Amino acid sequence: MKDRMETIRSFSCLENFERGDINCTKLAILHLVMHMKIGLPKALLYYRYGVLWETFFHELGFDVEVSADTSKETLEIGTKTTLDENCLPLKIFMGHVKSLIGQCDRILVPRFSRTSKTEEYCVRFWGLPDVVQNTFPNAPIISYNLDIGLHRSEAAAFIKIGHTLGKSKSAAFQAYRAGCRAQQRLEQQNMRVQSTQLHKSDKKILIAAQPYLIHDAYVGGQLQKMIAQQGVTPVFSDRCNRRLCRALSKEISNDLYWSLNKEMIGAIELCKNQVDGIILLTAFPCGSDALVNELVLRRVQNVPIIQILMDEHTAPAGLETRIESFVDILAKRRPYA
Amino acid sequence: MASAYIWTQGDPIGAVKRLLNILRRQAPDAEIGSIGTTGSARKLIGAMLHADVVKNEITAHAVGTLSRHADVRTIIEIGGQDSKIILIEDGIVKDYAMNTLCAAGTGAFLSSQAKRLEIPIEAMGDMAMQSQSPAKIAARCTVFAESDMIHKAQAGYSKMDLVAGLCRAVAANYLNNVGKGKQIVSPIVFQGGVSKNKGVLAAFQEELGEKIHVDADSHLMGALGAAILSQKKTTHRKPFDFSMLQMEYVTRAHICSGCTNNCEIVQFYRGDTLLDSWGKRCEGSVG
Repeated sequence: MKDRMETIRSFSCLENFERGDINCTKLAILHLVMHMKIGLPKALLYYRYGVLWETFFHELGFDVEVSADTSKETLEIGTKTTLDENCLPLKIFMGHVKSLIGQCDRILVPRFSRTSKTEEYCVRFWGLPDVVQNTFPNAPIISYNLDIGLHRSEAAAFIKIGHTLGKSKSAAFQAYRAGCRAQQRLEQQNMRVQSTQLHKSDKKILIAAQPYLIHDAYVGGQLQKMIAQQGVTPVFSDRCNRRLCRALSKEISNDLYWSLNKEMIGAIELCKNQVDGIILLTAFPCGSDALVNELVLRRVQNVPIIQILMDEHTAPAGLETRIESFVDILAKRRPYA
Repeated sequence: MASAYIWTQGDPIGAVKRLLNILRRQAPDAEIGSIGTTGSARKLIGAMLHADVVKNEITAHAVGTLSRHADVRTIIEIGGQDSKIILIEDGIVKDYAMNTLCAAGTGAFLSSQAKRLEIPIEAMGDMAMQSQSPAKIAARCTVFAESDMIHKAQAGYSKMDLVAGLCRAVAANYLNNVGKGKQIVSPIVFQGGVSKNKGVLAAFQEELGEKIHVDADSHLMGALGAAILSQKKTTHRKPFDFSMLQMEYVTRAHICSGCTNNCEIVQFYRGDTLLDSWGKRCEGSVG
């Protein structure tokens, strides 16, 4: 707040402002709001809603700062600040939030619960803003709730953030629509790229996992690099047609209610005949993955699958052994396939 | 075949020097035509000896075992630090699993318990076979197994019964963790250092109700596989120079501070020559 006051003082009509000139005050606030910076932690659902969020805030005239890629330091800070029992992605998220404190005026930490009457997110997402606020009491959090089970739409949630930031309903709605379009464009682009890769004759491995593990520079990034070094193309479970994936997920299980896992197993069903092997990437101790991956290992046949469990390992040797030997299996299988 | 099985004792480079000297004594006239390395230190030793092949242990074990037992379907392998199951169909690896986060139920566990009971590890198997009523020891996690064993010892079980219980715990732990959800089909081959332990072998046979083969060289299958693979790969190399072993090999580890990744870089030198370095996570790090 202190530097805000300084900005106000540096404002040209400071004297008038101090005398309480209404117009000038409005102008000053406008100036502040215009240059308010919103921080987006590059973790968890950033990998699914990042472009929507960025576009939404840009459209409303705010600056946006995305935290840097996850590094060892991010994880170390995250591990220090949260309970030991939290999962790896949540620790990483905390590291990102910490790096944004002091750099931004607001930090977006949404609460995701139900995405439809029958589907929901892992409970860690339900409590995310509370966990963050309790961990960092001075973090300037803004949040929105995605709870479609309660007859509230995503648009309504975005209008509410717009309102907290002093924006009109229509402006927020427009910005939300623009955000959706941008997000969709990116996803379609990614899907097109992946579908060309799937049709090539190169050797391919599907990385099936939560999006925030696959694309995290420290977790999935390392894995992607190792796979590529072995001359294999990695393809990703979150770059498939989601609606199709949700429908296909029923082939493996009808009863799942975790949105992200449902899409992941649908992607496995969708791609299993187009890839040479599947890697189930999971982070310690993910409850939903523990259940769902076991289901996949038992029910998906005729394609080699391995499960890789990540934690705060620092030595990449174990990961390397597993990738190398998996690629060896694929090399030997291929002529028979 | 000249062979030796020795402990690294935390010093893989020193162990390889010792090993090569042992091999040379066993076959003084033989020339080394090719070199393959495998296992956790395969990169380090591969760089040290200019190996023709540096292969992961899953593939090496499968190749080694297939050369002796062409019809094998399941390989149970328990080594010093890790354990694995390899499923084979028509002579190719179809599936495998390795122990995950902890080294539960591996040779390291057995040797630390042997030390606690003050018995030589080699004697454990025979001792276990003499037991009439093995102590029941929890197999879920070796930390629990250890405290369970202490309680049983205090309750008055003989060492024989404790050792037999430990062997059963290792087998049960393996089947519950590594072998979970895998179809174990005969013929089964049991290998790795722990396969020399008759007590563990008996426990596996009892649990699975199948005959399990243990090769006379069951502790060397990974090495055999690496050797076969290197033989295939080699192209008229210079014969191995044993005087290399007189050189000093040093590893220097440092933490790169180029960026926030703080990669742990290991540089490997022979004398002053940099042979190899690894540990980089990012493009920017030095080394």
